[in-house]
Amino acid sequence: MNIKETLFALSSADAAGCVSEAADLAYEMLSKYCETEKTHTLTVMGFLKGETDYTLMLDAHIDQISMVVTNVDEKGFLTVSAAGGIDTRALPSRRVTVHGKEKVTAVFCSTPPHLAKGEVQYGDISQIKLDTALGEKAREIVSIGDIVTFCAEPKELYGTRVTGKSFDDRAAVACIIEIAKRLKDKKLPLNVAFVLSDGEELGMRGVRPAAFKVNPNEAIALDVSFGDGIGIKEEECGKLGGGGMIGIAPCLDSKLSGKLIKTAEENKIPYQTEVMGRSTGTNADMISVNREGVRTCTLSVPLRNMHTDVEVLDIKDLESVCNLICEYILSGGIMND
Amino acid sequence: MIELLKKLCSLDGTSGDEYSIRDFIISQIDGHCEWKTDNLGNIIAFKKGKKAPAKKLMVDAHMDEVGLIITNVTADGFLKFTTVGGIDTAALMFRRVKINNDIYGVISGKPVHLIGKEERKKLPDSESLYIDIGASTKEEALKLVSLGDRAVICGDFFVAQDKIISKALDDRIGCAVLIDLIKNESEYDFYASFSVQEEIGLRGAKTAAFGINPQFAIVLEATTAADIAEVSEEKSVCELGKGVAVSFMDGATAYDRKLYKAALASGIKSQPKRAVAGGNNSGAVHLSREGVRTIALSLPCRYIHSSSSVADTNDMENLLYLAKYMINYICSGEAE
Repeated sequence: MNIKETLFALSSADAAGCVSEAADLAYEMLSKYCETEKTHTLTVMGFLKGETDYTLMLDAHIDQISMVVTNVDEKGFLTVSAAGGIDTRALPSRRVTVHGKEKVTAVFCSTPPHLAKGEVQYGDISQIKLDTALGEKAREIVSIGDIVTFCAEPKELYGTRVTGKSFDDRAAVACIIEIAKRLKDKKLPLNVAFVLSDGEELGMRGVRPAAFKVNPNEAIALDVSFGDGIGIKEEECGKLGGGGMIGIAPCLDSKLSGKLIKTAEENKIPYQTEVMGRSTGTNADMISVNREGVRTCTLSVPLRNMHTDVEVLDIKDLESVCNLICEYILSGGIMND
Repeated sequence: MIELLKKLCSLDGTSGDEYSIRDFIISQIDGHCEWKTDNLGNIIAFKKGKKAPAKKLMVDAHMDEVGLIITNVTADGFLKFTTVGGIDTAALMFRRVKINNDIYGVISGKPVHLIGKEERKKLPDSESLYIDIGASTKEEALKLVSLGDRAVICGDFFVAQDKIISKALDDRIGCAVLIDLIKNESEYDFYASFSVQEEIGLRGAKTAAFGINPQFAIVLEATTAADIAEVSEEKSVCELGKGVAVSFMDGATAYDRKLYKAALASGIKSQPKRAVAGGNNSGAVHLSREGVRTIALSLPCRYIHSSSSVADTNDMENLLYLAKYMINYICSGEAE
């Protein structure tokens, strides 16, 4: 499987709450290349032994943006709550999957314009009902607490760009699997722990016990960040195809950021920097304060339309991220800095 | 008929660009009727029945669907577009589109994280929306698309138990029923029009009706069902699973009373369309030449004009039965 095929397979699967398809698939993929385990929190962990006791943790989150059912009415309409940031304006007439006793394809209500009662309250997701078209049978199949996810099969666009759902953060998961594949038979100067953590979209939860367990010396959180597009300021985004975005922020380790930049420069690997004023909004914020502290940095894939089912990225950026991380690891990270 | 409907919905044909729909329909009806296409692209068919009818009847369904047309390309390779037919801005946001039947793109926007709380409550200006096909320059984009190319919002055909979800049910359901009527034996002769350009102002049906010059017309359609949460029952227009929606009046037509009553009294599951709003090809057909006595029979459809319209398979079957019943009712001379 090349990295695009890995991404596509992971994108089609779902992982949120108790839905673990993507975690199961990633476990299967990662366990081909290293010793792998799955924790009770649905986090997947892999480990490659190096020549020292120094450990680098590579993290990507396996969970995706989702919604949760909070009510099922007698006519088959559901009320849902968002588990993570969702643009509710784009929900009407959108098709989603309800993970009930069986999978149900459902559509968000779109009130015809001539019947809308004044202004539609787009800011409030509880105002936009979800239509199962199952009538009273809905209550037999769907329960309060069931997970709702976007549904979209990945597709190729022009050149090396692709579109699909859950590229946040399966793009990084695909990178980790590719990195494990490339490093499995290499002599490594340090231990590499691969963590595919759960619960990021709910507030970076799954990575906390994972980081505690791994107890790394340094860590890189692989995630996605805003890609360039219409109406997005240059300073807010990275360019698609411009390489991985190396984080520079007060909460990140500046030597780690610097070593990533140096490695990219020396090996002529495309990269760009992402400067953030405080924390990063990624798992790096949690890993860095694990136990007695971990030297941490972010490396992000530029992604358009984040948290929708039409996310867009450039496969070249995944290649750049894999190349950079492999070179960085083989050079020993910052174990001597 | 589900397989036929699935095939019809999976093809793309925005107004004025109905080529793939027309070719497919011709492949279906050829050998079962006499047919020709007129100057606008309507398929005009004559179905020979067992008997000559007492009245000359035209049955209409429109081939086109709502969609987008590419109007410009930016220096960064994004495509500017305008809508062909009525599509809500919410139904455009963050949708996958297919251009010229084979190129994929997405309607791009600012991610939710970069939008202020107040801005999240209002729909964006549709002028701010662009299609991303993955090109990074104008030159790259123009390798794949040209100005004037058409796009549709993707919405795969999905069926489970009684439920259908798809794009373009408006009006591929009418096309499916009309194909079925032509492929099977008919009691009476009748004319059929698979019309173009309904969604941009009932244009195809106008020339089709002039050409056929019928005394009576049946328009087969899909119409808004608002039997959804947050809408009171009296405003629901029509309801899924309650049978064919029969119109007495809409924004374009006051329908023939006798035909309206006959349809509801047919014994086939049907319901009045309870809103004087919207319009369909009846608006053009009933005013053709010296006037045509017209009835519209519609499939109730939630979220019409979106990529995920929802309908009921039983209503679809009933639409076929009621169309057959009304053909016989009119052609036998009972409607006199």
